Amino acid sequence: MEIPNIVERWSGEVTEVTLGATKEEGGTRKKIIKLGGANCIPYIDFEGCPGHRPVIAMDVLDIVPEEWPEVLLEPFKEVVSSPREWAKKCVEEYGADLICLKLDSVHPDKGNKSAEEAVKTVQSVLQAVEVPLIIWGCDDPRRDNEVMPRVSQAATGERCLLASATQDNYKTLAALCLADGHNLVTQAPVDVNIQKQVNILVTDTGFPVDRIVMFQTTGALGYGIEYVYSIQERERLAALSGDKWLALPILCNVGYESWRAKEAKARDEEAPGWGLARERGPLWETITAVTLLQSGADILRMLHPKAVKAVKKQIEALYTNNA
Amino acid sequence: MPKDNHTYKIHFLPEDKLVDIEEGITVLEAAHKAEVYISSICGGVATCGKCKVVVEEGRVDSPYTPLLAPEEVAKGYVLACQTKALSDLLISVPPETRLEEGQILVTTEAKEARPGMVGGLVPGLEYSHDPLVKKLYIELAPPTMEDSLADYERLRLAIMLREGIKLECLVAELGVLKAMPRLLRESHWRLTATLADWAGTREILGLEPGDTAKNLWGVAVDVGTTTVVAQLLDMASARVIDTEASYNSQMKWGEDYIQRIIYATERPTSGGLDEMQRTIVNDINELISALTLRNGLRPEEIMALCCSGNTAMMHFLLGLDPTLIRKEPYIPTANSIPPLRARELGIDINKKAPLYCLPSVAAYVGGDITGGATAIGLDQQEALCLFIDIGTNGEVVLGNKDWMVCCSASAGPSFEGSGVRHGMRAAPGAIERLKITEDFQLSYKVIGNRNPRGICGSGLLDSISALLCSGAINKSGKFVRGTTPRVRESEEGLEFLLVEGPKSATGGDIVITQADISNLIRSKAAIYAAISTLLEAMHMKATDIQRVYLAGGFGSYLDIHNTITIGMLPEMPPERIHFVGNSSLAGSRLSLLSREAFSNVKEIASKMTYFDLMANPHFMEEFISANFLPHTNPDEFPTVYQELSRGVKAMD
Repeated sequence: MEIPNIVERWSGEVTEVTLGATKEEGGTRKKIIKLGGANCIPYIDFEGCPGHRPVIAMDVLDIVPEEWPEVLLEPFKEVVSSPREWAKKCVEEYGADLICLKLDSVHPDKGNKSAEEAVKTVQSVLQAVEVPLIIWGCDDPRRDNEVMPRVSQAATGERCLLASATQDNYKTLAALCLADGHNLVTQAPVDVNIQKQVNILVTDTGFPVDRIVMFQTTGALGYGIEYVYSIQERERLAALSGDKWLALPILCNVGYESWRAKEAKARDEEAPGWGLARERGPLWETITAVTLLQSGADILRMLHPKAVKAVKKQIEALYTNNA
Repeated sequence: MPKDNHTYKIHFLPEDKLVDIEEGITVLEAAHKAEVYISSICGGVATCGKCKVVVEEGRVDSPYTPLLAPEEVAKGYVLACQTKALSDLLISVPPETRLEEGQILVTTEAKEARPGMVGGLVPGLEYSHDPLVKKLYIELAPPTMEDSLADYERLRLAIMLREGIKLECLVAELGVLKAMPRLLRESHWRLTATLADWAGTREILGLEPGDTAKNLWGVAVDVGTTTVVAQLLDMASARVIDTEASYNSQMKWGEDYIQRIIYATERPTSGGLDEMQRTIVNDINELISALTLRNGLRPEEIMALCCSGNTAMMHFLLGLDPTLIRKEPYIPTANSIPPLRARELGIDINKKAPLYCLPSVAAYVGGDITGGATAIGLDQQEALCLFIDIGTNGEVVLGNKDWMVCCSASAGPSFEGSGVRHGMRAAPGAIERLKITEDFQLSYKVIGNRNPRGICGSGLLDSISALLCSGAINKSGKFVRGTTPRVRESEEGLEFLLVEGPKSATGGDIVITQADISNLIRSKAAIYAAISTLLEAMHMKATDIQRVYLAGGFGSYLDIHNTITIGMLPEMPPERIHFVGNSSLAGSRLSLLSREAFSNVKEIASKMTYFDLMANPHFMEEFISANFLPHTNPDEFPTVYQELSRGVKAMD
């Protein structure tokens, strides 16, 4: 008996977004990254094209992280006071596909540093690495609206990914990205409707839809991952069904969220019986990342090199092990 | 410390009313006692900021509240619900807090009907003119030795033949029997009988000598949460003689009925429910008194009363316990109320006159909807219709002659002008239409052609649409800085200047605030989400809807196009949408004038399938999706999106 072909075909496809610009394109990147392009459910690749591979962005902070547990700080302890060196190490030693530079130092509670200093940091990181850059503000709308214009301008032409535009604060960032040739992260509070609303508002300002990456404030394993998972899954299904406002790559903040979990950061003496902290923390981050990959994540922001290594291996396996 | 109970005299201006109160009573409570109306939405818990009054003289204990601006505090403004007297007080109630007397606009345009029929709200819809209470002029043959039928049997036989009813269906009270022999003979066997429909039987309410069949009056009432409207009817000719409206005085306990249920049930011993009932009965009595006085009648000449309202309001009117309406699984005491003597409730009309109540479907879909559905003939339509009554609750009915489904969404009172800074009901002084030109010039029309005092539902709907199209707000309803000087900073964020102080009736600026816009968008989102949820439940699409009947107290006018632009109604050709005004009142009137219409209402009540949105997982999803202008799914509003994008830079 012939087995019927039950392959599902979808009408939509995730929009392709390019990060980074080479010299020919007006930037200085040696490596560029393409996201999106999938026209099937994640990893059901016998039904279509899975699109470009997910990438890992490693976080680099412009302040010395104070609350990081020892296990997390250890791999970076020689470079935490130099974003430039830190970024270099992430790319050269730990294999980061791109760098997410988090400008925490401009936050009023974390140093309130000037825009000039932020610009210097961005420039030094751009010089230090050849991969594309995500530039993430300090999440204080007032300060971000002051600092990001300078930062954006300093990185003109590099086709960075700037973050993040929210429903209440999107105009400045959208205008900058449009003017300076960057891509834009739009953020929503784990709500597919609001994500779409922000995307519509941003494009209403004249910003092209194929330069948007979506971000649903991530929840880690044990801390709401199932909500984020199903929201991202719905975004992907909407994309495949032809909703162009949701047919965009998805970013997840895996590292930061995972390491907030007490299961990840508790020291050995605080949690006897939970396993060794040096295994436990990276594992928590790895499982969070691998889970969210299944929902269709395109960019994973990550922290621990061990977790990065494990997830890279997993991605490799997902894309090659079809036998 | 010895107990020292002070009493203070509170003097309210401009009504010039005095009241003695005990220490510890709030100014708001004092105002209730003095029967001075003070606007209050939240029911006295310091969240709405509507009950602003000015302390002219005396000392008060009034805690700080962010709801008052510093300049208001400097002028002596306090919130009445949070203020207690420390001495005798002189309080003046400012215009924005007062309830201005004045006619509330009533729109219930009945269509022309053929002789012997009464017309509904849509062309061609008629019910036979056969009132619930009617008068029959009867000429009886006097008894003889050959025809020795008893008086009562003689009368019953005549009525039976005239009305085509069974003898056993006819009843009368003892008083009627006692007076009968003498009346029959003194009138020379020519008399008029008043007959009332009494749930399957007919009661002879009274007998009069001679032919008085033309003198029969009834009153139809729409018992709304916000507005009570009464209509005086000539029952014999099926004519509307006069209409009168007033605000529901229960508003002082909260502007939505859930607040009032809480108030009533939290005061079981102090008679919260009795107070609530007395108040609404009082409102109805005052309306009837005004109507009869103006038309040279006495209240005793009113022989019938019919009331329609939501389930909670009917409970309040009848003094039924409303507690369970707001608790899962939301069970009313009764959906269908048997006819009662209106006098039993303290309604001051003829002591025999019956009160008919239109039946409810469920706790949140009441007789205003079953009556409204009858007034538009929903159950006779071949085409798929959507009937929407926008009030504090937005009720939505979808269906036709074969089936009907309904639901109720908590829309909030913003389209009735409540919960909006300068919102007001459709009364003189309200802006009812509004347009904004490209260079942000405003043109508006005010009810009664005077300086505006505020803005009513239809004006607010126009405002949202105009602000969106002009780019002063974005699709989230957020003001866009720098579009025009009319968008300006205030204590509570951005606001839009509608009317400059010198041009307003109050002397103050009339504005629409960010919070107002959010409230209005939430209201429209609730309506749209209710529509989507019903459509989805029936596996239908908005394009399947052939007619929309929109009812509500917006005023006499509603811009249909704007209801689509803001995404309150699905996108469709505007000619499919009909504004029918107060359909609840029309349902009440038709029932009183036509037993056919009344039985139709009852049939609709039993046919409608109720969908509970609170238990529906899709509703919240639909609501968030609709909480955007016009909607999060551009596919559902392609034309509106196209129109709006003309003002937006083209996407590259």
